[in-house]
Amino acid sequence: MLPLAAETGQVHLTSQTRIVAAVLALFFMLMILELIRRDRLQERYSVIWFVAGLGMLAGAAFPGLIEVVANLMGVRNTNVALFSIVLLLLLGLALNFSVIMSRQAAQITRLAQERAIEKAQKEAAAAEKPLGKDAGSRNSSAISTTEDAA
Amino acid sequence: MRTLVFIPAWNEEAALPGVIADVRKAIPEADLLVVDDGSADATAERAREAGALVASLPFNQGLGAALQTGYLYALRNGYDACAHLDADGQHPAEEVARLLAEVTADRADLVIGSRYHSGAVAVSGDYRPTFSRRIGTSVFRFFLTLATRQRFTDTTSGMRAANRRVMALFSRHYSPDFAEIESLQLAVRQGLRVEELPVRMLERAGGSSFLTPLRSAFFIFKGLVVLLVGQFRPRHMGTE
Repeated sequence: MLPLAAETGQVHLTSQTRIVAAVLALFFMLMILELIRRDRLQERYSVIWFVAGLGMLAGAAFPGLIEVVANLMGVRNTNVALFSIVLLLLLGLALNFSVIMSRQAAQITRLAQERAIEKAQKEAAAAEKPLGKDAGSRNSSAISTTEDAA
Repeated sequence: MRTLVFIPAWNEEAALPGVIADVRKAIPEADLLVVDDGSADATAERAREAGALVASLPFNQGLGAALQTGYLYALRNGYDACAHLDADGQHPAEEVARLLAEVTADRADLVIGSRYHSGAVAVSGDYRPTFSRRIGTSVFRFFLTLATRQRFTDTTSGMRAANRRVMALFSRHYSPDFAEIESLQLAVRQGLRVEELPVRMLERAGGSSFLTPLRSAFFIFKGLVVLLVGQFRPRHMGTE
């Protein structure tokens, strides 16, 4: 059994895992750059992913950081601290997407409504034109002309 | 006094022409708009043939968005009062006319047609709720009354009449998912005069209700969450 990080006062990240983590982080950030370049990802949604990539890179370069954070959280095992941080970040991201999705759903709905109303108004205007002078019975004339047209 | 009657319709080609004819007979002075909520059938064509104006949403958006389209249309085109009823033939147009009379007489800002109100008279062939529908109704009735401190008997009624103040509010704030109940809570919280009127409703002319027991349970749960959240909304969002 290996001693816990807090007991030994050091982190068990081998140089091999650190290199793998750093390469993955770099690859990840390159992927984001490429997505932006191809217009598949908008800049304003990429900031958060760059921050995540930089975090991964920092963790790989300075393993002491994770230990500091773990101690701050009062967690004895740095791996547990790492996983909880990542989980929380992902949770936050998912929530962020739900917020964006809700906003866009509302925007799409309003767009659909505006279009429907505009078309209906055009139809109403077109139906009213032939009898335009008949101002007194405006409402009923609009209805009867749509019927004639149909 | 210009009046708009609008009918949200989703795949209701069978029942809709009858409903339009009914409205034109009972409320001949009103303009008639059918909000076609992305129907796949000939709802829009049937509505035009029957002499109604049609606003077609490009895709199905749900009842709340369809109703909001009607309120927005009424607001934009300067109508003084508006009313809406279901497209499936459950709502007799002469009852809608009674709701509109309350609004035009300025006795209320928003009037709801209630099929459960003690004053509603049952005639054979009239509306008879199913078991799960009755449970949902009483749960919502209880919690909406608790939330608004005003007695409501028919919280999910789709037969309503409203004035410009309500149009202004609903065209800006209208829950797409839980339209009927949340809109009542919202209107009361914004200080509008909301009133229930006992009305007759009929059995559905065609189609079947979407409620199964499991769906009902989910529907009720969702409604309670929506009501709870609604209690934390700001009181003055501005109506005009």
